[in-house]
Amino acid sequence: MEYKPTILTGGEVRSDDQIIAAHNKSARRVSGPALPGAEDSPLVIMELLQRLRVKDVMRSREIISVERTDSMRFAQNLMKRNKISGVPVLEGKRLFGIVSVNDIISALEGGWIHDTCQQHMATNLIVLEEDMPLAFAIKYFQNYTFGRFPVLNKDRDLVGIVSQRDVMRVLMKELTDELTRLEGATQQDKGIEPSKSEGALPYYSMRQFVVVHNDLSSAGKAANEIKKMLSDSGVDKKFIRRVAVAAYELEINICIHSVGGTLTFILDTEKATIVAKDNGPGIEDVEWACRDGTSTANDWIRSMGFGAGMGLSNSKRVADTFDIKSKIPTGTTVMCTFNLSGQNNVKQDV
Amino acid sequence: MNISDIVQVLDGTLVAGGNSSRTVGAVVANDLMSDVLLNDADDILLLTSLASDQAIRTANIIGAMCVVVHNAKPLPQTMCQVADTLGIPLVSSPLSKYESCVRVHGFLSKE
Repeated sequence: MEYKPTILTGGEVRSDDQIIAAHNKSARRVSGPALPGAEDSPLVIMELLQRLRVKDVMRSREIISVERTDSMRFAQNLMKRNKISGVPVLEGKRLFGIVSVNDIISALEGGWIHDTCQQHMATNLIVLEEDMPLAFAIKYFQNYTFGRFPVLNKDRDLVGIVSQRDVMRVLMKELTDELTRLEGATQQDKGIEPSKSEGALPYYSMRQFVVVHNDLSSAGKAANEIKKMLSDSGVDKKFIRRVAVAAYELEINICIHSVGGTLTFILDTEKATIVAKDNGPGIEDVEWACRDGTSTANDWIRSMGFGAGMGLSNSKRVADTFDIKSKIPTGTTVMCTFNLSGQNNVKQDV
Repeated sequence: MNISDIVQVLDGTLVAGGNSSRTVGAVVANDLMSDVLLNDADDILLLTSLASDQAIRTANIIGAMCVVVHNAKPLPQTMCQVADTLGIPLVSSPLSKYESCVRVHGFLSKE
């Protein structure tokens, strides 16, 4: 008999995009990056949860497993010997089910400990996919009572197991590393040069700028500072210009359209990220606001050279990824990323 | 066309930012800074009527080689300071922006 287990990824079999869309839809906050499990987290942790993947934390070596024809007794001894509370049932690398301690207890009580695993294993499985952001794994641990989840690759083969302990172990290590890097960035702000070769990219640096409502005399300072940071890092000029244009437009937007907010710039060896976050009043129709030439700016703002309605569309045009979330009256968050890999092959010259 | 040529052709005065040896790669005449940011050329000569810090900051973002403000508009002190800080030559011209465009075009056509 061919067993075809129902493999569930949060309720049903779905593509990565569908899963991400579903999670984004159910996120509590509308503003801010819609990352499950990270809605209220500091920026560094959010970035970490987004960057790390399930495959970065899972245990993939020596997966202890049984075959469908093995007995429940064999599974029991295997679990006892390895001090684990469940084993996946495999045929090759294909996952067919899981036998847990509860299944073993039931088998002992019911007298079917000598039956095969395929007769009593659980087949409605909740699994993670190896390329999912770590935030999804954390969300799953919150939503389900399981202590560990099987991890599948794109071919639906079992490639690892992830437990809460695995997540904590890797997260603590990465957080420690991030703190060390941030300390380095802080030293840089104090005028202490980080240990890097001249013109080389810093491993990680972050700067946050406060943008004040209607302070047009200061608007643009943050973008110019960001441009200087990139110039000092020896990045391609076209790349610098793209990042600077987006930073400038978003900074001006916060200044003239909101009650104030922050512009955050994050640079690592793979990408540059700009997060523009304001504290309200929010945008009623985001799609409309992103069109060329649409603006709510008044005559005073226009007389200062702004309000042409190109800010958001310009930012979107130059960025590799562009994400905007807005809610009335709490505010708007725009996130733009720029990939450093193959930086000469820019998305579009500006 | 270098800074000295710009000053001479536009009857202008170099008021801040210092001289440089850069030459004009393209010309943009505009008062809306978002429109200015759309240009992708290098070494832009920015002709504008906007006498504010933002004209200089915008010029810096796109790597412009010079900013010319027209109609002899009084230039705020902070604008000159920003130009000095960012090293962007700032020229004041008594001409209208339209007249400047005509003269610059005439000069570049002969180059």
